[in-house]
Amino acid sequence: MKKIHTVYIAGLFILILGIGATWVINKADQAHQTPPPIIKSVPDFQFKTHDGYTFTMENFRNKITVLDFMFTSCTGPCPIMASNMSRLYEQYRSIPDVQFVSVTVDPDTDTEDVLAAYADANGVNDDRWIFIRSDIKSVKELTRDGFMLFSDDLPAGHSVKFVLIDDKGRIRQYYDGTDKASIAILQAHLNLFLKNLDS
Amino acid sequence: MKYFFRFSVLTILMTYLLIFVGGLVRVSDAGMGCPDWPKCFDRWIPPTSLDQVPLEFQDQFNVVLAWIEYCNRLFGAVTGLMITITCYLAIRCYRKEIKIMVPVIGAFILTIIEGWLGGVLVDTVLNPFTITLHLLLALLIVVLLIYASLQSYYLYHKSAEVESDYPNSLKWFIYATGLIVLIEIIIGTEIRGGLEMIRNQNPLVNSIFLLRMLGPFKYMHTILGIFLVGLAYFIRKILIIESLNPSRLIIGSAQAMLGMIIVQIILGESLVFFDVKPLIQLFHMWFASLILGLCVIQYTAWEMSRLN
Repeated sequence: MKKIHTVYIAGLFILILGIGATWVINKADQAHQTPPPIIKSVPDFQFKTHDGYTFTMENFRNKITVLDFMFTSCTGPCPIMASNMSRLYEQYRSIPDVQFVSVTVDPDTDTEDVLAAYADANGVNDDRWIFIRSDIKSVKELTRDGFMLFSDDLPAGHSVKFVLIDDKGRIRQYYDGTDKASIAILQAHLNLFLKNLDS
Repeated sequence: MKYFFRFSVLTILMTYLLIFVGGLVRVSDAGMGCPDWPKCFDRWIPPTSLDQVPLEFQDQFNVVLAWIEYCNRLFGAVTGLMITITCYLAIRCYRKEIKIMVPVIGAFILTIIEGWLGGVLVDTVLNPFTITLHLLLALLIVVLLIYASLQSYYLYHKSAEVESDYPNSLKWFIYATGLIVLIEIIIGTEIRGGLEMIRNQNPLVNSIFLLRMLGPFKYMHTILGIFLVGLAYFIRKILIIESLNPSRLIIGSAQAMLGMIIVQIILGESLVFFDVKPLIQLFHMWFASLILGLCVIQYTAWEMSRLN
């Protein structure tokens, strides 16, 4: 009799744990499925890519974009950002719907050739990671007005944020491009957008 | 002195509950719910809205995930405190009992390491090796606590295994079961880690296809599982047929073990054939930790019968 009681109590305990865990898992799942809010649309602009093509706001359409601001001769946080961006570029190699865009904040030094060599050095071998440039005035405008990031002290004082842009060219979230934890969240959001894009 | 036994049982239950909560954090992917350690978003009590979050953490804030991870930390803190009290009670009551003192002090030291490892997990953004180590340390702590707790029980129930006589072969069956359960847990965490890695690289593919992409070592997990059913069956058979007056504790644990291993096979196969459901995954891991505990109960009972 006592043994049957023990089995019942254990079963009841497991049932309660199961119900509680189901509730928590569902709550967490809902949290994971909530996309970051729309911050604002990227304004129209016209830059040049490292391989000589024109890059405008239209190039954000129908793709999920991760964008950052950098310059090739930067020795501060840029190498970490480039390494993190490069890792993402490798991880999403089989998914053409994801693109990576790096905007140089030192266009005088970073000519198309310099950017092309930098792309090559970072293992870029397709059009999923694009480096873009324009004159410094346009860069400042895009940084400050388009992406609401620091632009007073360029190139050294550029932002280290990675910006997630949805398939309609809207800014959805900023992440710390030097922080692995932040990039893990970026990946989760990226995957969420991809699933929605797919369905 | 009975306080020690009662309190240690409570500590064991709490530790098992903590293993469950830790698994829950893992399957609900809330491990990075708090991006810093020991504080959560630089606060001792996690924020409930975005305006309470420091600017540098705002991109990582999700109130649900933060509170899931925080509950795990709270549970961890309470369990750590209970293990410390268990250690204090052991020092007060059983200073000369090596079989109680050594495992309890071992569990206490491992608890400190386990807490520190929790911080490392956050720092390394859930490094898969550290996750496995975190689970293995928790299992080792609970194994040591069960052993110490039973030793204190036998101190006051010296007659518990007096009339029992188990064949020597039982020891080897228990050793083999414990070892294989441990290997199964490690392979299980590897399967989960591998699955996550493939999922990261293929975010659009369903889990059921991802499982197929895993190497052949996932079959090893099933084969060893079936082998465990055989071992548990033989242990039960040895106890019932070849032993003299087996105690209720050892019979009960053998039956529970056989039942749980069969349930484990069903849970494991349902993960493969249906989908990798987080709830099933959670119970699959937790039951494995319970089976390991049953092995310790059986070993300790066998050891006592030998001393008598």
